Amino acid sequence: MKKSLLLITIFLTLGLILHALPSVGQDGEEEAEYPTYPIIFTKPLKAVLFDHKIHVEEAGLSCEDCHEEVFPMEAGATQENEDFNMESLYNGNYCGTCHDGETAFASNTRCATCHIGVMGWKRLTQKTEEAEEKGEH
Amino acid sequence: MFKGFAEWLKNLKNEGVEHISVEERRAFLKLGLVITGVYAGGTLLSVVSRVREVYADIPEYVGHYPYKPHYSMVLRTDRCIDCERCMEACRKTNHVPPYGWRTRILEQHFPKGPGEWERRFMPILCNHCNEPPCVRACPTKATFKDPKTGIVRMNIKKCIGCKTCMAACPYDMRYFNEEKRAIDKCDFCWESRLSEGEFPTACAKACPAGVRIFGDLSDPESQVYQLVHDPQRAIWVLRPSMGARPNVFYTIN
Repeated sequence: MKKSLLLITIFLTLGLILHALPSVGQDGEEEAEYPTYPIIFTKPLKAVLFDHKIHVEEAGLSCEDCHEEVFPMEAGATQENEDFNMESLYNGNYCGTCHDGETAFASNTRCATCHIGVMGWKRLTQKTEEAEEKGEH
Repeated sequence: MFKGFAEWLKNLKNEGVEHISVEERRAFLKLGLVITGVYAGGTLLSVVSRVREVYADIPEYVGHYPYKPHYSMVLRTDRCIDCERCMEACRKTNHVPPYGWRTRILEQHFPKGPGEWERRFMPILCNHCNEPPCVRACPTKATFKDPKTGIVRMNIKKCIGCKTCMAACPYDMRYFNEEKRAIDKCDFCWESRLSEGEFPTACAKACPAGVRIFGDLSDPESQVYQLVHDPQRAIWVLRPSMGARPNVFYTIN
């Protein structure tokens, strides 16, 4: 009797835990081939947002187009470079590789498209913190 | 008298429009004639100049600068990326407490199309108005317009902390400073920098994107003068309907 109760309890808790996990690949959905979390640069100033989704889905870029020649495949690695600034973009480096006014809009236009500012950064980091908190409970 | 007039007209060489200066073009357009009525079978044209009508033009008080130097700031708002370095520099320079503010940045979303919008940041600070509502509201003359520079300043010895000026300010650019027991606000860094001979303001110096252009509006050589008086440039002020006649101007590009 006790054994069966224990078994049932274990079974139920396992079920609950598994249920809480996001379903992976059950309905034939492939996982995205690119990071779905936002890439946020905070150096040399707060903050620039890079969205993989827009660049892959809408601009039709493949991973090899940027990695590893333009950007290393490690979030936050690029901003450690001394020359990661607008001047360098205007000279065709980093984002400026495409954002030159021909392939994509020029780096010296539409500032607030990528620059989300301190306010945007706070919003995003608060969101992720909240999500993490939710995940813990 | 008009013999051969049509011939003469036809034989005139077309000079094209590319050599017409902006001022000339503007003067011509202002002649705009208005058709005010059509009467009984014939047309009656009433010729009325539209010069007196209100244009989305530079504020009408621009061009008259009672102060020397007439300090002013032009904000090229589309360059702002909300890095908030101006706010940090201001806090440090003028000892602004965490609960207060001398300058702020607002965020706007401009609709671009169905479901699309563009972000724009808008820095704001005291507009150092020519007709400051705060000065009019202050019961003790603690806030005053500097007769030499036109900067709206605070005399904290006279301030009784009644906060009437806070309510009067159309730009919400005054706060009560608990340490000073007085209202505190932007003074174009007069006390911290300008009076010490340092130029420009801390925020303008700190801005990496060239948003804040500070200078003397009465000096035709200054960048603020050239921006405000550029006929091809859209220049606007915040809440013009308040009649405060701000000396802080906004533009793009």
